[in-house]
Parts: sequence; structure tokens; C-alpha cells
Amino acid sequence: MTVAVQLHPELRKWVEERLARYPTRRSLLVPTLMQAQKYHDYASPGLMQAVGELLEVPASEVMSVASFYTLIPKHPVGKHVIQVCHNVSCYLRGCDEVIAHLEERLGCKVGETTEDGKFTLVTVECLAACGSAPVMMVDEKLYENVRPEMVEQILAEAD
Amino acid sequence: MTEQTKVVMRLDGVGDVHRLDVYEANGGYRALRKALAEMKPEEVIEEVKKSGLRGKGGAGFPAGVKWSFVPKDYPGPKYLACNADEGEPGTFKDRWILENNPHEMIEGCIICAYAVGLSHIYVYCRGEFYEGKRRIEQAAQEAYVKGYLGDNILGSGFSTHLTVHTGAGSYECGEETALLTSLEGGRGHPRIKPPFPASEGAWGMPTVVNNVETLATVPAVIANGAEWHAGMGTEKSKGIKMVCVSGHVERPGIYEVEFGVPISGIICDLAGGVWQGRKLKGYFPGGSSTPVLPPEKAELPYDYESIAEAGSMLGSGAIIAFDEETDVVRMAEVIARFYAWESCGKCTPCREGTRWMLQIYERILKGGGRKEDLDILLSICDNLEFRSLCPFGDAAVGVVRSTINLYRDEYEEYIREHKVYRRKFVPVRH
Ligand SMILES: Cc1cc2nc3c(=O)[nH]c(=O)nc-3n(C[C@H](O)[C@H](O)[C@H](O)COP(=O)(O)O)c2cc1C
Ligand code: FES
Repeated sequence: MTVAVQLHPELRKWVEERLARYPTRRSLLVPTLMQAQKYHDYASPGLMQAVGELLEVPASEVMSVASFYTLIPKHPVGKHVIQVCHNVSCYLRGCDEVIAHLEERLGCKVGETTEDGKFTLVTVECLAACGSAPVMMVDEKLYENVRPEMVEQILAEAD
Repeated sequence: MTEQTKVVMRLDGVGDVHRLDVYEANGGYRALRKALAEMKPEEVIEEVKKSGLRGKGGAGFPAGVKWSFVPKDYPGPKYLACNADEGEPGTFKDRWILENNPHEMIEGCIICAYAVGLSHIYVYCRGEFYEGKRRIEQAAQEAYVKGYLGDNILGSGFSTHLTVHTGAGSYECGEETALLTSLEGGRGHPRIKPPFPASEGAWGMPTVVNNVETLATVPAVIANGAEWHAGMGTEKSKGIKMVCVSGHVERPGIYEVEFGVPISGIICDLAGGVWQGRKLKGYFPGGSSTPVLPPEKAELPYDYESIAEAGSMLGSGAIIAFDEETDVVRMAEVIARFYAWESCGKCTPCREGTRWMLQIYERILKGGGRKEDLDILLSICDNLEFRSLCPFGDAAVGVVRSTINLYRDEYEEYIREHKVYRRKFVPVRH
């Protein structure tokens, strides 16, 4: 059963302010699903239905689109999302050690959320910061030249 | 000694260049003023054509020629999509521009819009560029207030608008037609060309798609003239390029050079050479999508033609160097996983081919590789290359074929000895 979701008024306002910039309402679909994360936990079926109604897109298509993009969480995630790049330049400069250290420190594997719900750990593709590899992001903040010893400080900052 | 030639990066180190007042104090928006006051739109296109400016997003297509393909008397709106999706592994120059020199890119966008008659600029920015998106938004707001954007720009009668549009995590959305589908609110699926975006792009309207660096070079071309730009570089690769150097070098970073400098000069003089006193084993000249070249081919001049002749591509300008101790099979697996997971799934050769290749890599690294696996990998490459709907498929075969050709013994050792790669973590798709 889909639980109905009321879109946050700020999100509606955000959408309405931008509609005039595009020839179709649907064009705002991906940005709206990104912006929704500021106000809603994740892209739940109810949220996708509500976004679909607002932008006049069938719910099934909203789900199809949402499922394509990795930055749109289709399941509940922790309070903070940790994204560690696992692509080539970061691999060459030791991201595997950082990821292994994070798994150990958080007590959860890549793709999982810590028991206290604070952190979700995922690995991601190149973050366009290969010049300071290895890199990771906690929510919107990028950390560069990361070494396992730095993890403690980074996690403390997020908290 | 290879030296840099800073054009897009000439204000690097000045500080606060992202602010309009600082950018203007350093000559910013002079080119736009010149174009609007002294040049007809066709003259701007002509100037960019004569300059030899080529696209910096990967394909190296001449920017002025692309602009001239857009129909002049089109009865509906026309658009500019500035490609700020920067996802090619090894590439990190556009993020630098967005964060540190956003006005230069915006000025280039407005000049392009004026030349081609485009009523709206969409800056398609990858979702992870939170800081970059903020910087562009702020810069655009400043430009609106100052009358560089909006209606009747600087009293010229020309109007155009700018909107920052966010992506949401997808490499394929950097491919120009997938970018347009995404902009319209769809899954990032590419479209068959022709029609090319210049005749049928966003919402079916003529659309110019250009990379951030390409557009950020336009103001300098207009301010200094086509001849100045054409005077740099080589006969066919004119001008400059921001080269991203990463991997096993002492000083990874972005180095802006004239085309034609020796690649070894970029790696050794600018990036400090291979780290820890080790030897170079090989390098990707233009991102993970370009075939690996051996150290003997590091003496080449850095230009589109020389690198193509050597069997690879200059691509987005991302040199990824790896040292003699690199486990090439594992490195190739990292990249094979990237293509398998990022394939958009629209066409069968790419969706299935990239997945099969990853499966074979995984079994080789588990010690379960079979004698025939290298031949299977190579035959998948043959069946994927030039057979996918967009160039993603070609991109996916580069690393596989080139590393099997160059380092076949390492693959064979894995297979023959049932060597097992000890993973430090298990990658999970999400
Ligand atoms: C799979 C794939 C990904 C691409 N990603 C990007 C990208 O992130 N940024 C970019 O500018 N071009 C990218 N391109 C190239 C674009 O399709 C297009 O050629 C480019 O944006 C045109 O701009 P330019 O002529 O100024 O280089 C990609 C191409 C492919 C096939
Ligand atoms: S490979 Fe990690 S940021 Fe590019």
C-alpha cells in the first residue's frame, strides 16, 4: 500500500518559482526529486506519486525516472550519506584502504546503513576530483586526499 | 622544459574570481561587450570558426562549425545546453571552472547564445557538484543584476536567460543526446543521430551542446581574436587545453598547455613524474574511455591527431598514469564495473556486453578464469564497438582491448595460476 505524502510547501514553492524557465512541467522532474531530499526522507512511492501529480507525469514514469538516477534514494537512508569514489584514479591512490577502514569503523558494509541510522555508506563513480584522489563526500561536502587516519575527524565533523 | 599557457586558468591564484567585481576588474565581460557592440552574430560564428577552437568535452568537434549548423531563421526557440556533467573518470577541469571561474563560462555561454540566436541557456550540472551549482547560480544572479543576462542585454536588443539544471548521478547523462532527454525529465537515454541536436535538440528545438571548457575559452577567443588562438597549438589542433593529470604522479592536477607539447613533458615537468621514483607502466591519454598507451608512447606530441595515430584518443584531456607495480587486471576490472553499472540499458550490445565483460573480470579475479576468457573478452569488444546506440559502447572497450594487448601476460598469469585477487571491500550497486 502506498502511503500518501503531502509535499512540503517549500518544495512546492521551489517548483512553482521555476516552472516558467522550462517549456514543459515535466522538465523539472529530476531537479524536483533532488530538491525533495531537503524536506523528505527519501523518494518513497507516495512522494513519487505526489511529485507526479504536481508535474503532471504518471506515477509509473516518475518511478521509472527515479530508478535511473543513483542520487535519488528509493529506500530510507541514514542521516548522513557517505559516498566514496571507487573509480580508477582513486583506486590507484588507495581508495580501497579508505573504504575498508570505513566499513570497519562504521560496522557496516558498503551499501548499508549503521545501526544507529546515522550513516549510509556507498561507493560511487568518479567525482571529478581525481587530482586529489582518493576522495569522498559526506552529504554535500567533498573531502580530498583522504587517508584512513582522517576518517575519524571526517565523521566527527558530520555529526 | 614544458611550460603552461594559461588562458581559461589565467586568473588562477588571483582569489575570489568567482565574484563579478573581481572578474570584471580582470577584464571580464569585455569580450561580451565587444561582441554585442562591434560584431554581427554571423561574424562571431566566423571568428570562432577561424580560431580553430575545438570542443573540449571529448570529441574535439570544431565549435564554430557546430554553431553554424543551427538553422538561422527557425520559427521557434533555440537553446544552449552547457554540458557541466563532467563524469569521464580522470577528468576534473570543468568542476574547477564552475567553482573558480564561473563568470568566464557564463560569458562564453552568452556570446554563443548571441552568435547563434539562442533564447535560453541550460547549464546541465552533475548532481554531485553542490558547490559548483551554488557558484554558477550566484554568478548568474550577479550577471542578471548587471544586465549581462535577461532582456535587452546591455541595450543591444538581444535577450537570453540562464538556468542551472541539476543531474542526479548518471555518467551517461554527459552524452549530449542523453543529456537532452534527462533535461526533458526522462531517464538518461541517448537518441539516435541524426537528427543532431543542432537541428532537433531539447524539446525538439535546435540546440547547441558544448562543454564547459569549450564555452569558457570563447571569451578569450573573441577578446584576442581568431588569429591569436589559431597561432597556438598545431596545424590541426589549435589552441590550448586544460589537461587533468591523475594517478601515480608526484603532482596530480590541472595543467593548461598548448596543443603539441610532449606528453612526457606534461607528465614529468608539470606533474612531477611518476611517484615514489617508480617507472611508468602505461597511461590513459584522455580518460578511462581511451585505450591505454605504453610508456614508449609518452613522447608523442599532445594533440588529437598524434594520439589518434598512436591508437588512442585525446578525449576529455585526462591523463591517468599508472606505475610498474599496478595490478592491471584489477585496474581494468574497476573500469569494466564502471561501464557495466553506468550503461543506460537502452541498447542491447552495450547493456549486455558491458555486463558480460564485468562477469568475466570478476571470475578471473576470483581465480576462476578460463583459458578462453581473453578471446571471449576480445570478441565481446568486437561485437560492442560501433554497434551501440551512442559512443558509450566504444568507450567501454578501450581499456579491455588495450590492456589485453599490452599486458596479456598478466591476464594469463591470473588464469594459469588461478591467482586470487584479495578484495578489500565488496562493491555493491545501489
Ligand atoms: C558516454 C559519454 C559521456 C560523455 N560525458 C561528457 C561529459 O561529462 N561532459 C562533456 O562535456 N561531454 C561529454 N560527452 C561528450 C558529449 O556527447 C558531447 O560531445 C560534448 O558535450 C560536446 O561539447 P564540445 O563539442 O564542446 O566538446 C560524453 C560522451 C559520451 C559518449
Ligand atoms: S576517480 Fe575518484 S574522483 Fe575521479
